[in-house]
Amino acid sequence: MSEPLLQVRDLDVRYGDAQALWDVAIEVHEGETVCVVGPNGAGKSTLVNAIAGIHPAHRGRIGVGGADITRLRGHRICEHGVAVVPEGRRIFPKMTVLDNLVLGAYRKSARRQHRATLADVYEIFPRLSERAGQLAGSLSGGEQQMVAIGRALMAQPRLLLLDEPSLGLAPVRVDEVYDAIERINERGVSVVVVEQDVQRALAVAGRAYLLGEGRVVLSGPAATLRDSEEVRRSVLGL
Amino acid sequence: MIRRGGAGLLAAFLVLAAVGAFSDQLGLPSFYLILLGSICFWIAQATSWNILSGYSGYFSFGQAAYVGVGAYTTAVLTGRHGVDFFLTVPLAALLCGLLALGVGAVAFRLGSLRGEIFALLTLAVPFILAAFARINASIDGGQGNTVPIPEAADSFGSPQQFQYLLALAVAAVAVAVAYGIQHGRTGSALAAIRDAEDVAEVLGVATFRYKMLAMLISGVLGGVAGSVFALQIGFVTVESVFNLTIPLFVIVMAVLGGRTHWLGPVIGAVLIVTLQDRLSTYGLDAWNSIILGAVLAVLVAFSPDGLYARLRARPLIALGTLVVVTGVLGVLNVWGETLDWLVAGMLAASLLAIVLGSRRTTAAPRAEADEPAVEDEPEVVVSEPGERVAVEPGKVLIECRQVARYFGGVHALEDVTLDIREGELVGLVGPNGSGKTTLVNLLSGAFRPTRGELRVDGRDITRLAPHQIAHVGMARTYQIPRPFDSMTVRDNVAMAIMFGREPLPLRQARPIAERHLATVALDHLADAYPASLNLHQRQLLEMARAIASSPKVLLLDEALAGLNPAEVDNAVRVVRRIHESGITIVIVEHLLRVLNQLATRLVVLDRGSCLADGDPRTVLNDPDVIRVYLGRQAHV
Amino acid sequence: MNVIQAILTGALIGGLYALMATGLSVIWGVLRIINLAHFGLILIGAYLTFQVATSWHLDPILTLVISVPAMFVAGAAIQWLFDRLRLTEFNSLLVSFGLLIIIIQVTSNIWTADFQRMSADVNPYATLSVAVGRLVFPVTTLVAFGLAALVVLGAHLVLRRTFAGRAMRAIAQDRAVAGAFGVDHRRLSVLLGGVVGATAALAGMVFALSNALTPETAFEWFGTVFAVVILGGIGEVVGTFAAGVLVGVLSGVVSAVWSPATAPFVLFSAIILALLVRPQGLFAVGGAR
Repeated sequence: MSEPLLQVRDLDVRYGDAQALWDVAIEVHEGETVCVVGPNGAGKSTLVNAIAGIHPAHRGRIGVGGADITRLRGHRICEHGVAVVPEGRRIFPKMTVLDNLVLGAYRKSARRQHRATLADVYEIFPRLSERAGQLAGSLSGGEQQMVAIGRALMAQPRLLLLDEPSLGLAPVRVDEVYDAIERINERGVSVVVVEQDVQRALAVAGRAYLLGEGRVVLSGPAATLRDSEEVRRSVLGL
Repeated sequence: MIRRGGAGLLAAFLVLAAVGAFSDQLGLPSFYLILLGSICFWIAQATSWNILSGYSGYFSFGQAAYVGVGAYTTAVLTGRHGVDFFLTVPLAALLCGLLALGVGAVAFRLGSLRGEIFALLTLAVPFILAAFARINASIDGGQGNTVPIPEAADSFGSPQQFQYLLALAVAAVAVAVAYGIQHGRTGSALAAIRDAEDVAEVLGVATFRYKMLAMLISGVLGGVAGSVFALQIGFVTVESVFNLTIPLFVIVMAVLGGRTHWLGPVIGAVLIVTLQDRLSTYGLDAWNSIILGAVLAVLVAFSPDGLYARLRARPLIALGTLVVVTGVLGVLNVWGETLDWLVAGMLAASLLAIVLGSRRTTAAPRAEADEPAVEDEPEVVVSEPGERVAVEPGKVLIECRQVARYFGGVHALEDVTLDIREGELVGLVGPNGSGKTTLVNLLSGAFRPTRGELRVDGRDITRLAPHQIAHVGMARTYQIPRPFDSMTVRDNVAMAIMFGREPLPLRQARPIAERHLATVALDHLADAYPASLNLHQRQLLEMARAIASSPKVLLLDEALAGLNPAEVDNAVRVVRRIHESGITIVIVEHLLRVLNQLATRLVVLDRGSCLADGDPRTVLNDPDVIRVYLGRQAHV
Repeated sequence: MNVIQAILTGALIGGLYALMATGLSVIWGVLRIINLAHFGLILIGAYLTFQVATSWHLDPILTLVISVPAMFVAGAAIQWLFDRLRLTEFNSLLVSFGLLIIIIQVTSNIWTADFQRMSADVNPYATLSVAVGRLVFPVTTLVAFGLAALVVLGAHLVLRRTFAGRAMRAIAQDRAVAGAFGVDHRRLSVLLGGVVGATAALAGMVFALSNALTPETAFEWFGTVFAVVILGGIGEVVGTFAAGVLVGVLSGVVSAVWSPATAPFVLFSAIILALLVRPQGLFAVGGAR
């Protein structure tokens, strides 16, 4: 197999004194959908934030497409084709839906074609074009999630990181979000989904990692993890 | 320690008073008396400012208001109406006290008041007053006021002696008040407000009341000093008393000297006033404000803790430098006069203290902090389910009746009804965003419920302020520990006793605090400062502080987050020990394996509602709970 | 008639308040820095206009060719410094207070503490006025209002329509996520500091047109301008403009109906009342922050 698109090795992340990740290693290949599952507080969001440059790594190496991005300042990382849908969506609530989306295309290489990309995003989420002029903060949770995913797509990423896209959404909305994730992956974007909703994430992913208390506990094909007693025990804490 | 400081203060006052009273016999030129009087005025003003802004952390830019109101009260009454000077002083104090209370009542009532807004509000006050005085002819009207020298002055020798002694008396009172506050209950309360205001409130400190008290004292002292200032300058104009350089001066003095100690403003005032005097002697007035502004900017950016702490760390070196530099300059006698040599010596000592002090703080990183927290109890409690304490649940302690809390359109909690009985150890779990922390915040009074009723031990707490809820018997910890950084570990815990349900003075609270520290196995670090503790130790400190207020209920908000497995085991031991001592516990925690062993009961929240409630084993086998944790398509 | 004149004149003067307040408000809202030195930049801008117009006999409005670039550089430099020092919002207030005092003293050392005014032969605007029926409007206030409207409109369009403007609003709301999409807040903050410095040059020029200058004036702007910033909503350019006009009208009317003496009282009581009722500002709807 060729060199992976995303390669994380020996990653430690700390918040002050509190260490959140120990020796984490994961890989994502071109075109793959990989999910990271685990109980609350296992360090899943920390992993996403470290890759996206929202929180710095303490030790280890994060490589994207062969380039080392570990020490890059946050705003340089997206130039390597990484876009993030952060936990809790973190859209810009006082900007319109359209402004949120256009900001996603801020990086230089995405800026020129932003109109074309916008049309693509509207095709995936038709509802966003109806809501374009509204303040993003006034939307429902499901629509905000669409804005967050749409904003990430505007950056024309090679690798899309989604942090708990189902959080706080009604089941119907979760279905919509996961449909969209599959369609995005079909367009050739590699996807990392971090989820608490284990079954849902495993259903959409090819491979999966199980995190527990800041370490990778288990990894393998999603189908294997789906039936694993270990996952069940870890998430329920039994 | 306390007595020594007080004695030193008294001795210094007596010596300085004697210098003033016998200045003729000592052959002291009146120029020195005027300079000393000016120093005393600024000591009083900087101390007045520091009691509010330094101790509580709310920076005021409105010191000129007190100077102005005090000076105008005296100037108008004595100059225009012939009132006796000594009658105008208490009146000035009264007016400034009322002014301070008025400003405080408005400023501290503003819901989301932050330091910046307070600073800007206080900045506006002198402007309004200045405009009022300038236009109102019965006060000033642009003519100014001459202040006559009171007749009583004759019995004190020269007018300069009289003014100096008066200013000295005011400064001494101000410093003594600051000293008393710092060593008393109010000082502890204000320091806690400065370090972490809402934590202080939750521990039982009536923060609003203490802030108003600090405002009042600051206003009264500022007004009295302003009143005497009118006499010192002899002619009061709007420009001379409502000047914006007054807040600049007091802020620079206090920041330079050190804001957390009563001596800080004194050191700052002495340095700044003598330096200013030298600059104007050499015709460098134009550089005055430039130097002050630069000192402020550089100090805030690089050394915000001030000179006092640095001097205390190196008292001999500083004193030595002062003596040597002053002495050598005096012996050589090639430039300047005595005062120049003294100022040069003080500057050299201060600079050296700042440079050396900063090197020392960086060179001593966390000396004792890396010791692991008590490893001498090796047995792993977590793996022994039999150890669960079987306390018979008693009467109902916490009652939640259909409690709801909305944030805008987000329904964080929806109709939660829950009873918690005495002696229980309830684990509160649920996915992210399910409302666990919101419930803790409602119970501790950080938020009020949108709907519903909360009772603790039979008392309705729905409308109580957090410090009142603390006095009912509720204590909490924070997920991210928030100790009072300026206090030792021991005093952090003592704070909770001083302001708890059975308040004690600091001296009696300290030994009790040590017992609580022993409960969490932190007694060996009692003298350390929180900054030198690691996360686990800080979380233990949170717990010690919470139990020190002798609560009926303890709320632990993710007290195990971010710990390694050994630390988790130790924390679990501590929680169990606290529970055994008879305190009911509600613990929010992600690690289900821990709760499974520790809790007597589990409550599962999902999207703001109560999903399951009962014995841990039963709850964790509940299909609904499994679905919430494993996902909606999970087959059981 | 008197009252109508007072309202309109007050509204026009309010333009100057808005011009001074806009930059302060945007920097506070976007970068979380309370830059008191902004008043210093306005002061220097005013003195530059005075000096250049007086020595070179240049039209005062043309002096902007010099003062705008100079203040752009100064504003950018101050912002660069703040960024390096990593100051908290509150400490920025203290440090910039120190800077302001230095600037005031320096201007006082250069131009003395006495009042200085452009003489009538270099400043034709001071005495000109436009009459509409029985209402009279001094040209200087029209210039102030026009420039303020231009600046606010420009800032509004830049913030809404350009990538840089959207990025600034995004920084104000969530700096970390904005960074994840490629927004470099350091570069933007220096740029923003420069642009805000340029608006200080405009405000200074307008002030010099109709007023005599003394370094202490900077202090007199404090109360009114911060009132405008807070009432308008921190970071809200359109709100700031509306608040400027409101404050201008209010003090104009109060001065005309009662006396100029009561104006500051009424004004500040109104502000405190407004803050108690609506702490986020009267006109805060959904701007930068």
